[in-house]
Amino acid sequence: MTWIKILLILSFLGMLGWGFRHRAHVGLRAGMRLAAIALTAAAIASVINPNLTTSAANLVGVARGTDLVLYLFIVIFIATSIGTYFRFREQDRRLVEVVRASAIREAVLSQGLPGQNETDPDTRR
Amino acid sequence: MPVTLHLEDPDAAAAAAVARTNDDVWVIVRCLNEASVVGDVIRGLKKVFPHVVGVDDGSTDTSSEEMARAGANVVRHAVNLGAGAALQTGLQYALLDHHADYFLCFDADGQHRVEDAAAMADRIRAEGMDILIGSRFLGRAENMPKSRGLLLRAARLFERLTSKVDLTDAHNGLRVFSRRFASQVDLSMSDMAYASELLALITRSGLSYAEHPVTIDYTDYSMHKGQRSINSVNIAMDIWLNQVLRGRR
Repeated sequence: MTWIKILLILSFLGMLGWGFRHRAHVGLRAGMRLAAIALTAAAIASVINPNLTTSAANLVGVARGTDLVLYLFIVIFIATSIGTYFRFREQDRRLVEVVRASAIREAVLSQGLPGQNETDPDTRR
Repeated sequence: MPVTLHLEDPDAAAAAAVARTNDDVWVIVRCLNEASVVGDVIRGLKKVFPHVVGVDDGSTDTSSEEMARAGANVVRHAVNLGAGAALQTGLQYALLDHHADYFLCFDADGQHRVEDAAAMADRIRAEGMDILIGSRFLGRAENMPKSRGLLLRAARLFERLTSKVDLTDAHNGLRVFSRRFASQVDLSMSDMAYASELLALITRSGLSYAEHPVTIDYTDYSMHKGQRSINSVNIAMDIWLNQVLRGRR
């Protein structure tokens, strides 16, 4: 077990667990933005000096810089997918509520409250 | 069921009158593109139940018009939301009628029988349970393919493990709820997985439930319109995810 393996597995699990627990948390959004800034900076730095990725990879026990970039890409892709899943879930929930409210409202406006139009109220209990 | 009438007792007479007219029941028919059959289904129901609401779940055909012509109140989703969401809409609409005590779900494709629904309304009124669910395995399933029978039995095992409710036929669309249970129902799963979510809600509510033998008619139409068996994989996956994430958003 090299360091990179432990690091990768920990980051997978940590992201999953932390993301699930705190997905409504502002800290998560802030963290994502800071990570995006840091990654952009790292990307620019590695364009200027391509050897940077390899030295960073060697530091954590990976032979090639491209491999490190690939690993990072996978982790970020999974995190993004999970985030998108939750966003869609929440969006769906809101859509259901909007459509339902408007459907019931429309029915009541056009046909009256249920039970009021088809039977004479006096004959009901 | 023999009913003894004591005419000097106004309460008993009133109760018997209600039983005859089913004035305390709202029937909820969910419907997605069933224009060719839903009118007849609703006309059949209207002979026995005065209050029928058709929930059109964003149909692209004339289902809404057919339901209205057959005498149902119609609630129409502007876009398709799914079976569970349509049931929830029907319940919320019917609950607006404060005279309604029972809420009966009935499928739009003609696989249920009106006499079963009427018998279930009589029974829940007489026995006072909160949830009464139809079972094709206590009753009869006409022309059910063998594979569907096996799948439903597997579903039963899955339900027993995940919701701790033991029903012989959890995915039967014919159900009656009391107002007490209906007002607690809050389905968050929009699609077909709602049936399993409903079981979890029954367990959590702690209310009494029972099963009632019903006959399901497997017609060519209902088999064609009904769910494909492979969809059970999606349903199981959704249920599992929903349990993992329960309550959190």
